[in-house]
Amino acid sequence: MEILVLIKQVPDDSVEVTVNPSTGAPDLAEITPVVNAFDTYALEMAARFKEANGGTVTVASIGGDEVDTGLRNCLSVGADKAYLIKDDSFKDADSTAKAYILSQAIPKIEEANGAKFDMIFTGLEATDYAGGLTGPQMAEDLGLGCVTSVIAVDPADNGVTIKQETESGYNVVEAATPVVLTVTKPDYDPRYPTMKTKRAARKMTIARVEGLDLDAAKTAPATKVVKQYAPPKRQAGVKLTGDDINEITMKAIGMMADAKAI
Amino acid sequence: MFNKNRRTNDMSGYNTITPEIIDQIKGVVAPNRVYTGEDINEDFSHDEMSIYGKRMPDAVVSPISTEEVAAVMKIAYDNNIVVTPRGAGTGLVGACVPIYGGIVMDMTKMNKIEGYDLDNFVVQVQPGVLLNDLAEDCVKQGLMYPPDPGEKFATLGGNVSTNAGGMRAVKYGATRDYVRAMTVVLPTGEVVKFGSTVSKTSSGYSLLNLMIGAEGTLGIITDLTLKVIPAPKEVISLVIPFETLDDCIATVPKFKFNHLDPQALEFMEKAIVQASERYIGRSVYPQVIDGVEAGAYLLVTFDGNSKEELDDVIEQASDIVFDNGAIDVLVADTPTKIKDAWAARSSFLEAIKAETNWKDGLELLDECDVVVPLNQIAPYVKYVYEVGEELGLRIESFGHAGDGNLHIYTIGDDKISVEEFEKKADEFFSKIYPKATEVGGLVSGEHAIGAGKLKYLAESVGQKQMDLMVGIKRVFDPKMILNPGKVCYKL
Ligand SMILES: Cc1cc2nc3c(=O)[nH]c(=O)nc-3n(C[C@H](O)[C@H](O)[C@H](O)COP(=O)(O)OP(=O)(O)OC[C@H]3O[C@@H](n4cnc5c(N)ncnc54)[C@H](O)[C@@H]3O)c2cc1C
Repeated sequence: MEILVLIKQVPDDSVEVTVNPSTGAPDLAEITPVVNAFDTYALEMAARFKEANGGTVTVASIGGDEVDTGLRNCLSVGADKAYLIKDDSFKDADSTAKAYILSQAIPKIEEANGAKFDMIFTGLEATDYAGGLTGPQMAEDLGLGCVTSVIAVDPADNGVTIKQETESGYNVVEAATPVVLTVTKPDYDPRYPTMKTKRAARKMTIARVEGLDLDAAKTAPATKVVKQYAPPKRQAGVKLTGDDINEITMKAIGMMADAKAI
Repeated sequence: MFNKNRRTNDMSGYNTITPEIIDQIKGVVAPNRVYTGEDINEDFSHDEMSIYGKRMPDAVVSPISTEEVAAVMKIAYDNNIVVTPRGAGTGLVGACVPIYGGIVMDMTKMNKIEGYDLDNFVVQVQPGVLLNDLAEDCVKQGLMYPPDPGEKFATLGGNVSTNAGGMRAVKYGATRDYVRAMTVVLPTGEVVKFGSTVSKTSSGYSLLNLMIGAEGTLGIITDLTLKVIPAPKEVISLVIPFETLDDCIATVPKFKFNHLDPQALEFMEKAIVQASERYIGRSVYPQVIDGVEAGAYLLVTFDGNSKEELDDVIEQASDIVFDNGAIDVLVADTPTKIKDAWAARSSFLEAIKAETNWKDGLELLDECDVVVPLNQIAPYVKYVYEVGEELGLRIESFGHAGDGNLHIYTIGDDKISVEEFEKKADEFFSKIYPKATEVGGLVSGEHAIGAGKLKYLAESVGQKQMDLMVGIKRVFDPKMILNPGKVCYKL
């Protein structure tokens, strides 16, 4: 199958982020950009699918030349081809605008690849603003079905069988292809690049998708950030003391019930 | 509870603690920080290696200042009572165990980071500060405290007293290289200051260096001035599988020879990597690569000032290891990947402990941490496994390949009794310690001597050196009341 994995470069979320007190915005300048963790799960899932069932894995991202680093990293951990969707006017695009841009870029990539995609993966959400909107909105724009929170995918007679994580377990979903899947953490970790794969990736080209014929109204952000601020500090908890552990435990349960926490 | 005739029954000649002495101690340390009898936590009777003996102290005192330590020490000196300093109790040689009873001086409440002097690149800390807390605090200042022993929840006083080494010793040296000055309460209760902030000295015998690695037998450290360095900007780790341990270890000296200076360079065998990955529930280390089975791995970390610099370094490093038989090179280039690659290594001891058996309250686990010349690692490890097999003992090993420091564990199965295990372990060590000495090595690279290794140290260095050490101890501690039974002095 032909698989497209859409990735986003985000500030490394393993680093503690502080909020600039004067602007309320997070201080991101010093933080290294990395490929969004959920996208790395999506790529690993795609690479494993390809290794088991054949096909190719293409990665693509919207952004400037700085995103080449992330795309090249993807080429060293399972991707076969990479595309950068580039236009200076995309800088302020929000999830809705990005979904539209992707829906317009994907046919161009298919044209360049010489094949249509059977599955399009995105991460469940990006760890920077955690909207989780781009994948489903893009599916809508492309007129495709979409399954969110995917933890496994396997070929089936008329498409694919998908495991979708839910709060209490998982659903098994059958879908016809082409289909859009937003991927969450499966029970494995993304592979490590090796020197051999890194050296090979360095020699590959990252193709540009430029000059898309876009509707300016749709690339403008549909949302506006009104205010950014740090979350309020958590209040100190209540400390219960006494000699009878049972009595204190019941009191604590009572307080939690009163607060509708349980 | 108290022995009225003031003599212990182990013929040691030390006095036991009376209620009057406890009252005196409560006069110099707040009574709620003086513990006796039932109030003493069982933890104070052992460290992480219970096989070297357990004993409850008669009293535990938790001082919060040099003055308090000095006042308690003076009372102990006047009354001829044994005192054992203790940090977090994570030691691996029984060094903080009060084998002759008496007072345990619990240093963990003296846990303040007192401040940095960034003109001289030093930090002043109380000895009970945990390594983890200092390491994290340094990161916030853009600094690094390089010593990096596996146990992050040990105290700095304990690290200094055992001269702990750790992963980064291959590039940055051991704890000794980062101690500039210290305040010490002598066994007499007198207070002295050794060393200074300055970076060099030829000012007489280095009493500072005698204290480092003295395992609480010469004095009690109550304040430390430690050297820190600007934190390297970038780090990258490589996981390098090899088909055989021989190939893996033969590669080690090649890095230095080619002007590469890894921050950490660890070797590990397949079995322990798999045990550890089972224990942490994560799988990073590839077992079969292009049809070739990995038998051993190197885990290497480089640091530098830019990504570009490190890219060059890992290119060179890869050329070296491929020339020496590496099957592959995995690159951990994000903080998460680095953390995951090191998680298995950091959990080796816990993974081993998860698979050990306990009998009569003792863990059937013994270890040695010999250090041998680099070119002797592979033949020595081979010899160790042969002896283990001969004796029917389960052996696990790993080590700091970059400095020839090996950690070798023997584990008792569920059938063996404590006595049998001790006998077999003794037979095992009676062979492998002399062998280490024979190939030019030493008894301990970083875990120290404590009570557990005293006999092997004596065999390795000989009577004259042991006499010199006992003589030094007597100068510091005329009544031999501070942590007796450890390092060199046995009753
Ligand atoms: C899981 C694990 C991994 C480890 N990995 C490594 C490793 O990679 N490299 C390495 O070098 N070590 C390693 N160690 C050993 C570790 O470095 C020591 O356990 C630690 O340094 C001891 O510190 P502590 O505070 O627990 O001291 P304790 O165990 O309480 O005491 C150790 C000795 O120090 C003395 N002491 C403590 N505080 C003072 C003081 N203020 N003044 C005078 N004497 C004092 C005690 O009397 C005793 O002799 C490891 C240990 C564990 C459990």
